[in-house]
Formats: sequence, C-alpha cells, structure tokens
Amino acid sequence: MQAILSPTPLTTRRDLPGDLAMWCFILAELLVFGIFFVSYAFARAADVALFNASQLHLDRTLGLINTVLLITSSWLVVRAVDSLRQDQGRQGARWLLAAMGCGALFLLLKALEFLAKYEAGISMSTNTFYMFYLFLTFFHFMHVILGMVILGAIALKARRGGYSRADHGGAETGAAYWHMVDLVWIVLFPLIYVLH
Amino acid sequence: MTTSKTANRHWAILLAFTAMTVLIAQSSLSGAAFVIPVLLITLAKGRIVIDHFMGLKGVAGPWRWIVLGWLVTVLGLIALAFRITGETP
Repeated sequence: MQAILSPTPLTTRRDLPGDLAMWCFILAELLVFGIFFVSYAFARAADVALFNASQLHLDRTLGLINTVLLITSSWLVVRAVDSLRQDQGRQGARWLLAAMGCGALFLLLKALEFLAKYEAGISMSTNTFYMFYLFLTFFHFMHVILGMVILGAIALKARRGGYSRADHGGAETGAAYWHMVDLVWIVLFPLIYVLH
Repeated sequence: MTTSKTANRHWAILLAFTAMTVLIAQSSLSGAAFVIPVLLITLAKGRIVIDHFMGLKGVAGPWRWIVLGWLVTVLGLIALAFRITGETP
C-alpha cells in the first residue's frame, strides 16, 4: 500500500551542476547576447545590401578556426571536470591548461582580426554592420578573457588537489561559464560570418 | 554526467556540424535553402553544448528548458528577420 502511495520515480533528476548564482549570471549574459543577436538580424533586414557587402570583407576562415578552437576548449573543459570528479587533480589541471591554450589562440586570432580592421580604417562608426560586428565580437572577446581567468584559477586549485570526488562544485561552476562563452560563439559565428 | 567517451563523440559531432556549416556557406545555395540548414545546424550544435557540455540534460527544475528556450527563441527570431528580407519562405 505504501509503495502505491509513494511510487519511486523512474528517473532520478540531478542537481544543477555548479553554483546557482553562476547560472543566474549565465542567464543574464545569454539574455544580453540574445538581444544583440536579434537586433543585428533585424537591423540587417533594414539594409541587406550594406550588411552583405560589408560581410564579404570578414575573414570567414579565421571565424571557422576560432569556432574549432572554442568547441575544442569546451570539450577539454568537460574532460577536465570529469578528471576532477575522479580525484585526478593533476590530470584535470592539464586538461584545463590545454583548454586555456585554445582560448589564448582564439584571443590572438581575434586580436589580429581587430588589428586588420583597424589598419583598414574600419571602426564602429564605419557603418551599422561594423558597429554590430565590432561590438559583438569585442564583447564576446572580453568574456573569453574572463573565462580564461576563471579556468586559470580552477587549474591552480586543481593542481594543488583542491577538488575531490565529493567536492568539485567550484570547477563545475567555472566550466558552466566557459560553456556559455562557447554557446554564444556557436550562434555568433553563423550569424555574423556566414548568413547572408 | 558526461563520460569521457561520450564527450569525445560530442566533440567530433560538433566539429562535423561546423564543417557542414562551412560547406553550405561555400555552396551556391541561397535564400531559404541556405538560411534554414545553417540555423538548424546551429540549433543542433547549441543543444549538444547545453545538454552534454553544460550538463543540463536530466537536471531537476526548468534550467534546461530555459537555456534551450533561449536558443530556440533567438534562432527563431533570426529566421523571422531573414524572412522579412525574403530569404526564407
């Protein structure tokens, strides 16, 4: 009778990985990026010819390489957290350093892209397309820098054996932020570099 | 939780989807035949990141649906904006 009144759920729901406050921050960040993405799309609808012509001057290959770098770094962070869950702090730190290497390459390529635009005399006031392109990519660039700082802090703590099978919430929190940075780029790349 | 083996598989799928996006970009496709596949691939990539990398699949509460809802809403509005310009049906 008791079993009928209190059925055992077929599946067990897991707790949110990482800290609740970080997830609230992530939602706020996604909202801001989402507003800018949709604003870009509707601004483009008002002047398709200008946006298509300006987009031709972007280096799509660099955008592709940067996409591969961020996806790879996100995968490396997943591997790092898996290692930390298994009490393998040093292995986790190595995965995190590899992820940071991908992030650093992303920043370098993006900085070269910004420099090329600057040398070509392109700025946010050139036209509406470049206003969105430079703002969105630079805003994302700043998030990658913050993500690198977070990954670095996690790697240091992991190397010192600061995470364990029972206590790795801090690493999950930082990883969630990095995956958000990756998720935003996954939308940003096709929107700015590909769709025309 | 995402195991290493499944994480490797998801990474490979994400790279394959990225390659597909670039192939479509280099094709002679235009209009809806170009925009819709690119947005659908973006949706698939985003879902992998949300479900498996962020680890929101199977999490208690509305978190997965909120983040997936963000992705679907943003991509849907982008599709609508392209429809305004006559690039989707």
